Amino acid sequence: MRFTSFAEMLGHYAEQTPDAPALRYEEGGAVTEMTYEELAEAVERCAAALRAEGKTCLGVLPDGSLACVLEIFAAVRTGIQVALLDGNLPTQVLSGLVTYTDADALWGDAELCGELGEALTGGVQNGAGRLLFFTSGTTERSKAVVLTEKSLCASAYNGGSLLPLSAEDTLLCMLPLGHVFGFVCGLLWGLSCGACVALGRGPRHYIDDCLFFRPTALSVVPTLLSFLLKQNLFNDGLRLLLVGAGDCPPVLLESARAMGVRVCFGYGLTETSSGVALSLGDDPYAMTVCPDDTITIAPDGEILIDTRTCMMQGYYKWPEETNTVLSGGVLNTGDLGHFDENGCLHVTGRKKEMFVLSDGTKLFLPEAEAELRAMLGGGDFALALRGEQIILAVHGEERSDEELFRVIAPYQKNRPRSQKVARISRQVAPLPRTPTGKVKRWELNARL
Amino acid sequence: MTRQEIMERTVKIIRDCVPELEGVELNENTVVNTDMGMDSMNFILVICKIEAEFDVRIPNRLWNRLSTLGDLLDAIEKYRK
Repeated sequence: MRFTSFAEMLGHYAEQTPDAPALRYEEGGAVTEMTYEELAEAVERCAAALRAEGKTCLGVLPDGSLACVLEIFAAVRTGIQVALLDGNLPTQVLSGLVTYTDADALWGDAELCGELGEALTGGVQNGAGRLLFFTSGTTERSKAVVLTEKSLCASAYNGGSLLPLSAEDTLLCMLPLGHVFGFVCGLLWGLSCGACVALGRGPRHYIDDCLFFRPTALSVVPTLLSFLLKQNLFNDGLRLLLVGAGDCPPVLLESARAMGVRVCFGYGLTETSSGVALSLGDDPYAMTVCPDDTITIAPDGEILIDTRTCMMQGYYKWPEETNTVLSGGVLNTGDLGHFDENGCLHVTGRKKEMFVLSDGTKLFLPEAEAELRAMLGGGDFALALRGEQIILAVHGEERSDEELFRVIAPYQKNRPRSQKVARISRQVAPLPRTPTGKVKRWELNARL
Repeated sequence: MTRQEIMERTVKIIRDCVPELEGVELNENTVVNTDMGMDSMNFILVICKIEAEFDVRIPNRLWNRLSTLGDLLDAIEKYRK
């Protein structure tokens, strides 16, 4: 079903299937259910309480609990702007984000909210319907992406139209709600289909949430998929895995498929309210474009997205940055891709994860680093460019420079002179990475 | 329980959870978070096992700040009290 607001979505199922389970969560060590009718009523009660407080922007430190979900839905219902903040960030950074997002109220861990109290502001005007999600790209500092309940509902519709769930399904929400993939594909996807969403109990329960809630569908990021596979933590009855928010090695997808589970891979960005293309067939990397989206490939291979219903309004209070990626309603993703003969999208790399070298050649970092990784046997390393020199930045590496150069000799031999590693830079601290493991190139370059 | 005893039990948990660390010396200065084969998920597994072993609860928001084995021991000692 296509909905334009959370209230419309919950109201629809509260009327059509009032007794169907909407949420499952843990209470007193047991699985407890809340029906659609109960959920809609609980949101209204929570909204009434919020309305009485007269706030305009709620900074939420999401913990994935029932109370957290109710608070987010209620705030949006009340016309309060919601900023999803990552409570794992250092307090000083969080303080800056609270102020940047104009939050005049906070929800979350009481101690942390207390520490952030001084950062609260006088609030915001015209924030109704907005939800701010932070994105940390590989080349820029964090930005708040302005999405709306309408764009998020449209994104959930997009996913549900290609991968429908039914009232008999249970979608387990294990991912952080502060991440748009977690919010849309872990929560809204299920609710927009009238399915039941099981609220995961956080990282401590990654090891037993599948067995506890026994989902039929699950959204995961590649690192979580790897962990669940390695520890053999999937439950019987799981029929659908949606993998997204990062590159996923084929071996992981194949391992998941070997369990008899349908595995789909999704591509999307925070700026597009999550997924714009999903794989539906045997090839997990051949993705069908979602109904509301139009994707074209620029002459240089960059993926361009036009999605009238799911596109962000822009980066919060940052029009200059918005204009660098969004023009005429079309988003320059910075990702590279192509369409195959069946019209399926393949994502091949990251435009920004590329060095254009002085001899005119381009060094695609994911490819080069994968080659080096195979030789080095893993480890914390990345390539960087200083002047015209390629630097291999390493951390925690015990082998000598001489030994490292010997190990990567095949790489050096096969690369044009400009792409050879010129020197090794040993880093005292771990290399800066995003939560999904991508190297923050700009931070690394600044460090070098 | 002495710090050395905590260290020994913690090292055993780490080695059980992350077999890739076999043969690698682990001391208080060893970076155990996002290093040497212990990715973020393995780190979560280690934290969970440590919490169960020592009957402590280390706040989630501190996890990212636990870099070395010594940091882990400090946290265990702090939250056991």
